[in-house]
Amino acid sequence: MDIWNQLLQGFMTAGTPINLMWALLGCTIGTAIGVLPGIGPATAVAMLLPITLKVEPTASMIFFAGIYYGAMYGGSTTSILLNTPGESASMVTAMEGNRMAKNGRAGAALATSAIGSFVAGTIATVVVTFCAPLVAAYAIKLGPPEYFLLMVLAFCTVSAVLGKSTVRGLTALFIGLAMGLVGIDQISGQARYTAGVPELLDGLEVVLIAVGLFAVGEALYNVLYEGRTVESENPMSKVHMTREEWKRSWPAWIRATFIGIPFGTIPAGGSEIPTFLSYATEKKLSKHQSEFGTTGAIEGVAGPEAANNAAITATLIPLLTLGIPTSNTTAILLGAFQNYGIQPGPQLFEKNSALVWALIASLYIGNVMLLILNLPLIGLWVKLLKVPKSYLYAGILIFATVGVYGMRQSAFDLVLLYAIGLLGVVMRRFDFPTAPVVVGMILGPLAEAQMRNALSIGEGSWTIFVQRPGSIVLLAIVLAVLLLPRLMKLRKPKS
Amino acid sequence: MKPQQTLVGAGTLVLGVALALGAIGIRSDAGYSGVGPNFLPWFVGISLLLCGAFLVYEARTGGFRVMDEPSGAERGDWAGFAWVSIGILANAGLITTIGFILSCTLCFVFAVRGFKSAAGRLDLSPRAWLVDFAIGFSIAAPVYWMFTQLLAINLPGLTSTGWL
Repeated sequence: MDIWNQLLQGFMTAGTPINLMWALLGCTIGTAIGVLPGIGPATAVAMLLPITLKVEPTASMIFFAGIYYGAMYGGSTTSILLNTPGESASMVTAMEGNRMAKNGRAGAALATSAIGSFVAGTIATVVVTFCAPLVAAYAIKLGPPEYFLLMVLAFCTVSAVLGKSTVRGLTALFIGLAMGLVGIDQISGQARYTAGVPELLDGLEVVLIAVGLFAVGEALYNVLYEGRTVESENPMSKVHMTREEWKRSWPAWIRATFIGIPFGTIPAGGSEIPTFLSYATEKKLSKHQSEFGTTGAIEGVAGPEAANNAAITATLIPLLTLGIPTSNTTAILLGAFQNYGIQPGPQLFEKNSALVWALIASLYIGNVMLLILNLPLIGLWVKLLKVPKSYLYAGILIFATVGVYGMRQSAFDLVLLYAIGLLGVVMRRFDFPTAPVVVGMILGPLAEAQMRNALSIGEGSWTIFVQRPGSIVLLAIVLAVLLLPRLMKLRKPKS
Repeated sequence: MKPQQTLVGAGTLVLGVALALGAIGIRSDAGYSGVGPNFLPWFVGISLLLCGAFLVYEARTGGFRVMDEPSGAERGDWAGFAWVSIGILANAGLITTIGFILSCTLCFVFAVRGFKSAAGRLDLSPRAWLVDFAIGFSIAAPVYWMFTQLLAINLPGLTSTGWL
């Protein structure tokens, strides 16, 4: 069995003391980031991107992956204990989790979400282990036209389908694409939109955009509009689940895992949809209907948390095998790979197989670490919630400076950072999604190159996109994704 | 009709115009592909113009559709915002002269003033300044040492010792 051998190799690489240390560090920072309101995994990974200048790729990818899913574990702690949910993916957890906590069952809610995250994360990692090589083997047959359409699919879903308003989603996407245009064109070598500023020739840094939108934008938004918002905290209770609660959690975890995985896998990312779907499923199937929305039903926490983690883990499949990010964080992970001159995609499994398998092995190890970090040590993390908001955000600004300045040593970037932060405030105030900006910025230049390569193959004819079976199928999917929801909306009022 | 939303739409329009103006100056030599380096700039510019126009239309006919009420207060706390802005911009201006640690500490102190002012608890006593300076320093300094000493990543210092 080839996969077993490679996975074993991966465990050997990931199991070296230094890599274990990076994994533990990543999981710890990730959990802390998740617990702290106002800062998410995308920001954290972005701020730490400068380490890619010095640390070797395997170690830093293990580290970043630890932050990525560590934040998911930590995020649930905040949404259960605080009455202000952090990231959108844990909003559903907050609905029931908060009610449970208010009724003195915070411990059970925290336990079911940590164990559920572990179960879902581990099953999803098994799926990644076996599916990713298959997808990669298939993806190697894809040419530029198919790649371009896959990227278009990612653009459409992330901007037009997932958000509430298509026009605001598209606006965000085009702003991202515009940011991606700055710098030297990959194919012709022509400088675009640099306005004679030498710093702009290399393009805008991902760190700058992500940290500006998320960290600085969040800090500025908070000081402007939420200065007087008072957060209340629910009482902690012993982290423990009764036999009855175990019995109710198990099926929810498993169901949610298989709801989450497909949503992470297809280039239609986002963990909002699977968490909501899982919540709806559990609510429908539960024998304890009266607890939903009143005293808090444990299934309503177990399901969405598991779905969230499964989806998050599964987003690694399109990232590693196709090089297509479907969320903010995976977009920044792609940026991290690019810093090393590594382009994720089907070749990754051949050219950098040691790195990929070490990364996958580290997911298994990280999940165990996180279970330990989050169950017995939960009391420590809860203390983080006591950090006053003023110190928290001011501290975030220091880390934002490290990330942005450390990457390029340019004070000009710090001014740009502030400008992007202002953009973040406007986007947040007027309910524009941010994921399309980051995905557009990172994927834009790649999509442009694929498009121009595809057109070269077709000798300048756009019909190249309808001449190959793979591209026709993808084109049909793109159209379906764009049109079906609208057609269904049109039909509804009539019936 | 919502004036603020109209402004957001207008901003998008301006961005679209800027991109289109920039696209004029980009060569169009297409090679075999039929589209050159100016294709995407034009496409993005025109798309932004369309999005901007649509946003303005929405804003002037009842406001943006399917929009969540923004969280927090209705009116912005501009005093607090000014403190934080000064902190960030001073950091950008001073980092190369007074070094990472001091510059970030200063940014921290100003930002804390901003958040406390926004919460209605602005404290300008010398003691508060000193306490916040100490806290900011105790965050910035270890971060600096970690990056410069452990990871050998260049951050500007006041001295060339690598410690301050």
